Amino acid sequence: MPLRFRLNGRDKQILESTDLAFLYKLVRVMKNPKTKFNEVDFVTKGEDYLFNYVNNNVGGVDEGRRNFLKGILIGVAVTTVAGIVPGLRVLIPPVQSVSGFPKTLILDSSGNPIKASTLPVNSPIIMVFPYPLQNEINFLLNLGDENGNPVEVPPTTVVVPQTGDKYQFPGGVGPNKSIVAYSAICQHLGCTPPYIHFYPPKYVNISQVTAPEPNKLTVQAVQAAKSAKVPAIIHCDCHGSTYDPYHGAAVLTGPTVRPLPTIVLEWDSSTDYLYAIGAVGVPTYPMSSNGVPSNDPSADLDESQFGASVGDKTEISETNPFSS
Amino acid sequence: MGNRVSNWFKERINMEDLPFFRTPDYMYHVGDWLGALVAAAFFYTVISGLIILLYYDPAAGYQSTETIINKVPYGSVVLYSHLYGAYAMIILAFVHMFRNYFVGAYKKPREIVWILGVLMLALTLGASFLGYSLIGDVLAVSAVDVGAGILGSLGLSSLVPILFGNYSAGDYTRVLAMHIILVALIGLLFLIHFFLADLQYGMMPSRKVKDKAPAVYPKSEWQKFNPWWPRNFIYMMSLIFLTWGFILIIPNALVYFTFPQIANPFLNPKPAPPPNSPAAATVTTYPPWFFLFVYKIADFPGSVLVDMTIALFIPLIYLLVVPFIDRSPYLHPLKRRVFTWIGILMMIYLIQSSLWGDLAPGVPVSMSEILEVYLPPAIITGLGIFLIPWEKVSKGLSKGMSNPPTMLAFTFVTLAFASSMIYFLTTLSLASLATVISLGSIFVILAKLLTPYVMRAQQDENAVSVEEASKVLEKKKRIAQIIMIILFIVAIPIVVTMWTIPPTGYYSNLFGVDLGVLFLILGEEFSLYHYVVYKKPVEKEE
Ligand code: HEM
Ligand code: FES
Repeated sequence: MPLRFRLNGRDKQILESTDLAFLYKLVRVMKNPKTKFNEVDFVTKGEDYLFNYVNNNVGGVDEGRRNFLKGILIGVAVTTVAGIVPGLRVLIPPVQSVSGFPKTLILDSSGNPIKASTLPVNSPIIMVFPYPLQNEINFLLNLGDENGNPVEVPPTTVVVPQTGDKYQFPGGVGPNKSIVAYSAICQHLGCTPPYIHFYPPKYVNISQVTAPEPNKLTVQAVQAAKSAKVPAIIHCDCHGSTYDPYHGAAVLTGPTVRPLPTIVLEWDSSTDYLYAIGAVGVPTYPMSSNGVPSNDPSADLDESQFGASVGDKTEISETNPFSS
Repeated sequence: MGNRVSNWFKERINMEDLPFFRTPDYMYHVGDWLGALVAAAFFYTVISGLIILLYYDPAAGYQSTETIINKVPYGSVVLYSHLYGAYAMIILAFVHMFRNYFVGAYKKPREIVWILGVLMLALTLGASFLGYSLIGDVLAVSAVDVGAGILGSLGLSSLVPILFGNYSAGDYTRVLAMHIILVALIGLLFLIHFFLADLQYGMMPSRKVKDKAPAVYPKSEWQKFNPWWPRNFIYMMSLIFLTWGFILIIPNALVYFTFPQIANPFLNPKPAPPPNSPAAATVTTYPPWFFLFVYKIADFPGSVLVDMTIALFIPLIYLLVVPFIDRSPYLHPLKRRVFTWIGILMMIYLIQSSLWGDLAPGVPVSMSEILEVYLPPAIITGLGIFLIPWEKVSKGLSKGMSNPPTMLAFTFVTLAFASSMIYFLTTLSLASLATVISLGSIFVILAKLLTPYVMRAQQDENAVSVEEASKVLEKKKRIAQIIMIILFIVAIPIVVTMWTIPPTGYYSNLFGVDLGVLFLILGEEFSLYHYVVYKKPVEKEE
């Protein structure tokens, strides 16, 4: 410490080698034009100026030792940065870990595998199950005619009005080929049950136009069902979109411009169990609501949007929209 | 070359002339830098929060929290340390506040600084509550329920949608926005707080230098002290990295343990199950620990309004107005015994109520139980404080009661003594009587001996000659230098292992532990460098 000079004036060992080195350095710094010692300041500000000057330009601990310590400090700082680097992977969004659609057993609301042959036909009760990801809910429907007899749902070609694209709907499954599943998230603006739900034949008539929400039909919906000759429809009360469950949930009335995506089912005739195995059509709302509809239903597998995969089991939950 | 570059920067960024407070040698102790610790925790939490924000989806709160934990590379490291960054900030803010309370830093001219500090603490608690709600697990949902219920019974139900939006429908957009807004407010207040505290008034001189308000160095005098660059910078870096180290190590190590229920609110960084899952039914819900005291006081007899007045409004208002009640210029805690007593009681009650809320959540409390729990500390500390003779203490005492470790020890003994009294009252056994008596005597002895002890220690230090001190110091500096080298060597294998830790899954949290250890090492290196280069044999309080 150079200032020890001043602090312990009575100190005898004034001329230590370090002191000499310090003096030498001080003189050099004072001559250097960049760090010139300002005599005028020294006279006006006095000792304080000298104190600061020395502190700033020469420093207490001798230069070599200080540089050595600085080296270690910088070394550790660099090492720390090297440790942070692999951590930057936190910025890379996780890749979709569901490589394809899982094969998922559908369970009833009490956790037992659902039996295809006991599934009620034209049920007014909304039955939804999440698939393929936890926030993607889908209707499970056993379709029938006006009299409640199951009807075979044939494969057909579905058109996406927004783009004119077409895709193949695989048709119904089960003992009567009458069971289908569609996304329960409206393709218009994403309304979910109970606003969007299935209307069994007995509700598809003009008297339903005056029913309270969420069971109200529009006049256009009733007419569209009649002209398409379908006994039952899926209708959304938010803005009146109507879908045809007998033909791959194709669009019957707007404002929606896309059909509901289909969940592909598989029926195991030996156990009577139902499995969800994939999806066709556009991806779940809102994956194509940005005006760029895709025909790629695997966009549904984006976990950041819809949560984790449901895995190999999914459970139905039930609500009755008509009870209230 | 290296010199030319560094000179180029030096000329352009005139670091020596930064207008920050110039710091005298004797102030390089944590006690004087608690605010920097709070700020370090704040910045850590902001940075980690922004990273989480890249992934968090307020429309699917719980889902996206799970995705962050399980799928995002090192996502759980960031999320859990965000949580503990907030915890650190809360604890440090309390410590910072109580320290300033006992040294009388709220007095003229620092009233505004103090008030801003109290408001920031309140905002910090609020922001943390909202952050906690964002997880969307059973605990969060029930905490929001309780919070909304309390607002409702205070007649403030119109605030519920403003604060929580459509929370109960699973839409956390509003809570997320509010979380960030409150944090932004904290940031804004912090700028003013810091500007006033550091640039306008400077740090508070030691009581030896100035024992009366207004305690400030005249600007002319503070020019003599160390400029911000480089010494304060180096000291600050050591504090920041040490804080960050702890914030990273603690939660990332805790994930590998399981805890009994009573420890969960403090020690479990993982989210609970979602509210709609079967597992949720078996979960004991509890509020975040920093609100346990409110939770317990809500069990008191009387209306919610009365309880909240006791738990929140009275302390808050008291803290806000204390600069205007305590108008004496004296800074020594024993020269303002009533306020010191209230301060100690606030600390004790805060800890007591929080622990009680943890042990017996939601169990209604009778009036007599309240007296049993809260009266003894009041009497004991009251007696302790008012019986310490000022005449003895005033001779040569500098730091006295107000330095944090002694304060803490004193609080601890008081608490232990108080709880032993309760224990005795509930069991009425001979053994518990013995505990009470012994703890009581320790308390009395401590209270009496505390001050003279500190005094003696300081005298000893002064007795050593300067020569002697420089020799000892030089020896210590050599040791410090060796430790610096060793730490550097230790850091390298740690970094190497970090490159091999998988970014997700069970082992990923080890990355957080390792990074925390690296930060500790870096902080310690800064601290040792500071010691070797700047430490003087005698740092008198000037
Ligand atoms: C601009 C800065 C910040 C941003 C953008 C931010 C963002 C977030 C987000 C998105 C979450 C939700 C994490 C999840 O559950 O998935 C969260 C949680 C949280 N935040 Fe912040 N935050 C910020 C600053 C702070 C600060 C300063 C505090 C402390 C006062 C804080 C306290 C919390 C707490 C306690 C949680 C709960 C974390 C958990 O339990 O996992 N945040 N924050
Ligand atoms: S959201 Fe279904 S019709 Fe608009």
